Amino acid sequence: MEKAVKGALIAAGAAFIFIMLILPLATVIVYAFRQGLETFWQAVSEPYTLKALQLTLLTTVIALIVNTVFGIAASWAITRYHFKGRGLLTTLIDIPFSISPVIAGLTFILVFGRIGWAYPFLQAHDIKIVFAVPGIVLATIFVTFPFVSREMIPLMQSRGTDEEEAAALMGASWFTIYRKITFPHIKWSLLYGIILCTARAMGEFGAVSVVSGHLRGKTNTLPLHVEILFNEFHLTQAFAVSGILVVIAVIVLIVRNIVEYKLEKGDER
Amino acid sequence: MYVELKSIYKYFGDFKASDDVSFSIEKGKLVGLLGPSGSGKTTILRMIAGLEAPDSGDIFVDGKRINGIPAAKRGIGFVFQNYALFRYMNVFDNIAFGLEIQKRDKKYIRSRVGEMISLIGLTGLEKRFPYQLSGGQKQRVAFARALAPNPQLLMLDEPFAAIDAKVRKELRSWLRETIAKVGITSIFVTHDQDEAIEVADEIIITNLGKVIQSGSPAEIYQNPRAPFVARFIGESAEIENYSVFKGFFPVDGFERAFIRPEFVGLFELGTAQYANSAEEGIVEDVFFRGGEMELRVNVKGIRVISRRSPAELEMQVGEKVSVIVYRLYLFNDSEVKLVENEGLIDREPVFI
Repeated sequence: MEKAVKGALIAAGAAFIFIMLILPLATVIVYAFRQGLETFWQAVSEPYTLKALQLTLLTTVIALIVNTVFGIAASWAITRYHFKGRGLLTTLIDIPFSISPVIAGLTFILVFGRIGWAYPFLQAHDIKIVFAVPGIVLATIFVTFPFVSREMIPLMQSRGTDEEEAAALMGASWFTIYRKITFPHIKWSLLYGIILCTARAMGEFGAVSVVSGHLRGKTNTLPLHVEILFNEFHLTQAFAVSGILVVIAVIVLIVRNIVEYKLEKGDER
Repeated sequence: MYVELKSIYKYFGDFKASDDVSFSIEKGKLVGLLGPSGSGKTTILRMIAGLEAPDSGDIFVDGKRINGIPAAKRGIGFVFQNYALFRYMNVFDNIAFGLEIQKRDKKYIRSRVGEMISLIGLTGLEKRFPYQLSGGQKQRVAFARALAPNPQLLMLDEPFAAIDAKVRKELRSWLRETIAKVGITSIFVTHDQDEAIEVADEIIITNLGKVIQSGSPAEIYQNPRAPFVARFIGESAEIENYSVFKGFFPVDGFERAFIRPEFVGLFELGTAQYANSAEEGIVEDVFFRGGEMELRVNVKGIRVISRRSPAELEMQVGEKVSVIVYRLYLFNDSEVKLVENEGLIDREPVFI
């Protein structure tokens, strides 16, 4: 009986994952190559696609740098100091998890767009945010900013401050303490957070879609480009470009597994 | 005096962690801060180390007021309760850390760490990481790490709390000997009276943020000056109507008394030397405690505890025995008074 339950659960899980995840992804790859490698290559190397890839990479890198710096600072502040509003800050960091990306995008329009309160100032200084690259970067940062800090806060909390205190008592500087004591402990979590952040930043659609304006070759990221191609019935091209995203996703997944393995090993200490 | 605290006050919100704490410590002594949890002993330690700042009061070390000096500049070695070894560094790097921060040259570091490792008897384990060490070994490494930069004062926060019972006994005498060998003034915090009595040259007893009594372990044990100390130290049981015992008379202002197992002598019926001071009691319970027997005896309705060697004749539950109460600690809300059995005075000095 127990064996039957176990078998049924495994079968159900496997079937679900096959239908919901593997089948669609495989379809993407199959469609991408349906008209041969050459068509695929043409679609992928098309100037607008390359521009979109470029923009996606740029956005991701900036979001990563900003969120890593923010994540390290926030996790340090929250776990190492006691101050008023600490709980509130922890909650606020999670907002992007609970707010729909589309709404996040709309708020940027409401602040920086033509009807936004910051518009006159931006106009006066000739700064473009909405319907331009800065808007896309901002939206991506907003959507991905809890990832790094969320990975590190529980870890730093569970480990306590003893070792850092011990080092400080011996006269170690802030930087030495971070480099020699805190960082070795959190590095794999940090990397894990960065990977999750990367995956999310690359694939972000909703918030970016609102602030982008869909200017081909200017404010189109890869996911937006896929949508445009799809809406114009260039199915093969759409799937080919999607293929790039899928390949990146698979790479991220593999790196993630390696990091997870390292994280588990680190737990022994 | 080498270390001196003068009228230290420290609040955490409404909680009085230190309430007019003053004491002083001689150079080279090993001092135990003893008290129940929440008595403010760890706060005192952390304030001397500079990990907390007192709200008011002065701390002097070697004649210098150190209040404003940051922890790192105080020259204090600190052994944390859970050792706080750097888990991503091996034993050698852990011990070398303080010296590297001081930018000593490599040769000196190597020889100093070697010296420390042989002091703690872990030669050959330099490359091990903390998670590869036993509790006792970790403690020794924490000790060596604190000692390596030659601090003028060593602080140990519950140094034996995280170690299992058997190793703890060994480590206690080891620590005592090693500190004596190094000759460093040391303060440790503990809630375990046996530990304090066994390890310390001097004990400072704290309760509710105040220093209640300080003195040598023998002094504290034999002459508790406050009811709290009498209750906290030794295995004290509280009794009323102490004047029902032969040789004890009511004293004005003292209604209750503490009695300890070593204050009670048990003899087979009729064999007690001072028959006129002896009471008759009935054995209610006998417990085997390994090295000794613990007996609970009912004397005139009061239950007293005594100890006997298993080598002596066995006493059975229900057996009638002769009981002599040698001494009692009478106490009220603020005072403790030691009284001897008057029937025994001037006949034979009683040593405990």
